[in-house]
Amino acid sequence: MIVIMEENATEEQIARVVEKLMQMGFDVHRSTGVTRTVLGAVGTKVVDLRELELLEGVAEVIRVTTPYKLVSRSFRPEDLEIRLGDVVIGGREIILMAGPCAVESREQVLEIADAVRQAGAKILRGGAFKPRTSPYSFQGLGEEGLRYLREAADRYGLLVVSEVMEIGHIPLMSEYVDILQVGARNMQHFNLLKELGRQPKPVLLKRGPAATIEETLLAAEYIVSGGNPNVMLCERGIRTFETSLRYTLDISAIPVFKKLTYLPVIADPSHGTGRRDKVPPMARAAVAAGADGLIIEVHHRPEEALCDGPQALLPEQLLELVGQLRQIAAAVGRTM
Amino acid sequence: MIDEIDAQLVELLNQRSRCAIEIGKLKRAYQMPIYSPEREREVLERVRRLNRGPLDDDALRRVFERIIDESRRLERLAAESSDGLEKSPRRERP
Repeated sequence: MIVIMEENATEEQIARVVEKLMQMGFDVHRSTGVTRTVLGAVGTKVVDLRELELLEGVAEVIRVTTPYKLVSRSFRPEDLEIRLGDVVIGGREIILMAGPCAVESREQVLEIADAVRQAGAKILRGGAFKPRTSPYSFQGLGEEGLRYLREAADRYGLLVVSEVMEIGHIPLMSEYVDILQVGARNMQHFNLLKELGRQPKPVLLKRGPAATIEETLLAAEYIVSGGNPNVMLCERGIRTFETSLRYTLDISAIPVFKKLTYLPVIADPSHGTGRRDKVPPMARAAVAAGADGLIIEVHHRPEEALCDGPQALLPEQLLELVGQLRQIAAAVGRTM
Repeated sequence: MIDEIDAQLVELLNQRSRCAIEIGKLKRAYQMPIYSPEREREVLERVRRLNRGPLDDDALRRVFERIIDESRRLERLAAESSDGLEKSPRRERP
């Protein structure tokens, strides 16, 4: 930890900080510069930075070590590229994942898969096991849904991402999907994360609606420390005091994640807003902010959708959106 | 030449460290704080007065800040280990 003192900090103020650091169990390396004094605190104690930040004369306190290790950018400075055949997630190309919220029928998935492929999607999304807020809501088709997803993806040259809700489903799902998604509600289902660390499929880890960025990185750390390096993070909206939309899509989390970690970052403007008309603007913002991919819900007949119809884009809306996104991607040095 | 001087420096730094360790034990025995900012200031001030160059005062100060950092650490370790001797062995909390 490094404590940077104010330029006009007095010797007494510096002495109080040194004393505090020593009380906390740190050895102190004092370095008196031309304008500022910097105190290096050496030790492994975990402390609340505020205790130091609030001392008089302290300009800034910087934690050098983060509680997450393996997923930290200091561990690996270059971006991680997750390769699945021809598709590279985390490279220069922004990857579009699109499809229905839930798999409802074979015909539905085939039709939507065709539409999203035409819009430029590389990965087909779709839920077979649905975690629903209400137990009376549609719970998904299960293995039948996985079969339809795989068939549609294979027919149109797409990859499949789908949510795994429990440990027992991992082997079954691995037969059908290319990327295992951990839903926002399961982000801190640590036993599930540990198991996902012991299997070879890449994992799309959604940020919990009330999880901090650090907690999200610690969840990713569970998977990576188990031996699976291929994790991508997904910002899908957090709970704030604002009630006009379902969640507040934390666009600023994208550059923060990109700074703290080398893992690819995906944005989900569908769950993040919960409303079709808000999806394109937030998708554009996410690409501008540096997202490596988008995951967007699409339905050809959203009014009949069994799950989250109001947030699904129509295929033609997706097509139009991708046209805009390509221009934004070019402006930030990416392709789509 | 430099090798010879380094050898002397190592010896002198260790002599200084032995003093720091003794002081650490005494501070513990008299329940005095390890960190004494006034004393550190005195040391730095005295070193500055002794300085005849070519090292400038700031450079010398930076070197001595490192020496003081390490002395403080040694004093703390010495105080802790003499502390450990007086207390009964640590037990696991129930």
